[in-house]
Amino acid sequence: MGRTLILHDLRQSDAEQFLPRDSVKYSLFAAAPPVRHCAGCFLCWVKTPGRCVIPDRGADFAAIMTKHDELIFLSRLVFGGLSPDIKAVLDRSIGFVLPFFRKLNGETHHVRRYDKSPAFRYIFYGVDITDKEKETAKKLAAANALNFGSERFSVSFFSSIPESAETLL
Amino acid sequence: MKIAIMDGSPKNKDSASGLIAAALQAELTPAADCAVCHAASHDRDEIMAALASCDALVFVFPLYVDGIPSHLLRLLDEIQNDVATVAPGAAVYCAVNNGFYEAHQNGVAMELMKNFCVRSGLRWGQGLGVGAGGMVQAAPIGRGPLANLGRALSAFAENIRNGVSADNSFVEPNFPKFLYNMIAHMSWRVQARGNGLKIGRLWRFKISEVDEWVQSGKSSDINKGGK
Ligand SMILES: Cc1cc2nc3c(=O)[nH]c(=O)nc-3n(C[C@H](O)[C@H](O)[C@H](O)COP(=O)(O)O)c2cc1C
Repeated sequence: MGRTLILHDLRQSDAEQFLPRDSVKYSLFAAAPPVRHCAGCFLCWVKTPGRCVIPDRGADFAAIMTKHDELIFLSRLVFGGLSPDIKAVLDRSIGFVLPFFRKLNGETHHVRRYDKSPAFRYIFYGVDITDKEKETAKKLAAANALNFGSERFSVSFFSSIPESAETLL
Repeated sequence: MKIAIMDGSPKNKDSASGLIAAALQAELTPAADCAVCHAASHDRDEIMAALASCDALVFVFPLYVDGIPSHLLRLLDEIQNDVATVAPGAAVYCAVNNGFYEAHQNGVAMELMKNFCVRSGLRWGQGLGVGAGGMVQAAPIGRGPLANLGRALSAFAENIRNGVSADNSFVEPNFPKFLYNMIAHMSWRVQARGNGLKIGRLWRFKISEVDEWVQSGKSSDINKGGK
């Protein structure tokens, strides 16, 4: 298992063509075809702590996150945020943190379940990305990092899949 | 005037979004023909029919990981190219509620909705952020701790009826934050105990313990009835 986990929404053929094959460095998690969406039941907090109860591969992601120093979201930029496929995985992974609240920068956020959280790196691709969308994406990344207890995050934008994947090589 | 309210909570019942949607529908009827649609259970044709020739589209949803729940996001992504043809000139409003007390944490989700408007060629109306969503069930909307929410929803509904655009608005309950947080913490513990979880070790893991936990099957075994 690599030290960096790449959660990506590429089709299999694109993933094979563009993503790094260095499995010492990278682990890949394909968000497509999509996992089922979160049902809002909170059982990942109060019944099977740390794990989603919906039995598909989306249930594994929170545990896989714990094994990595860095989490890369390689995502189509949708309205200034993550794509639906990636978001489906992330919504299913809130068991990575505890339900309990703590105060950070004067706001409520979650207490960590584990000793550490991976750094979050957002690599967005899309055509005609607007400045407003970039602004939204940066705010989203900052908020996500706070809630998942991640101390570092970065955001970058590219106009195509090959360009975005190239930054990984 | 035709208005569609899209309930974007994946829950079918007992959701804060469902209550907010119902309160809005009551405010908007009978001045408008106003239907509520549930994004997670209605199929795409039903949803497109509900949106057709609307003057206003109102999305009511919970904040999920600082954004839009994935099933609703998928719907928005899929309709962005057609929605303006189906409901030309419609204004988009959204009421987002979140689990944390601070309503302003819904701000990013509202930006995402506004960006959806730009992409789809619809007009942006207004966003309403509702903090402490866990309280929406606690009283009738408009009374006691939800007096603020009642007022905010009335003002929001008036803007929708008049089709006007306005600055986003944010509302928190008439109830102190420290108490809300305390009750939330208590409730997590009570629910966990109800499911037979021992408080303590299960809440906090060392990363080295994860494999053992996942492989033991305890983490995913809901069918054995952990209770
Ligand atoms: C997957 C998931 C992610 C959530 N993310 C957030 C969040 O980022 N910030 C927050 O304040 N609340 C968050 N919540 C809490 C919900 O927004 C809150 O419980 C809300 O009141 C649920 O609304 P509903 O009853 O309409 O579904 C999340 C809940 C779930 C299930």
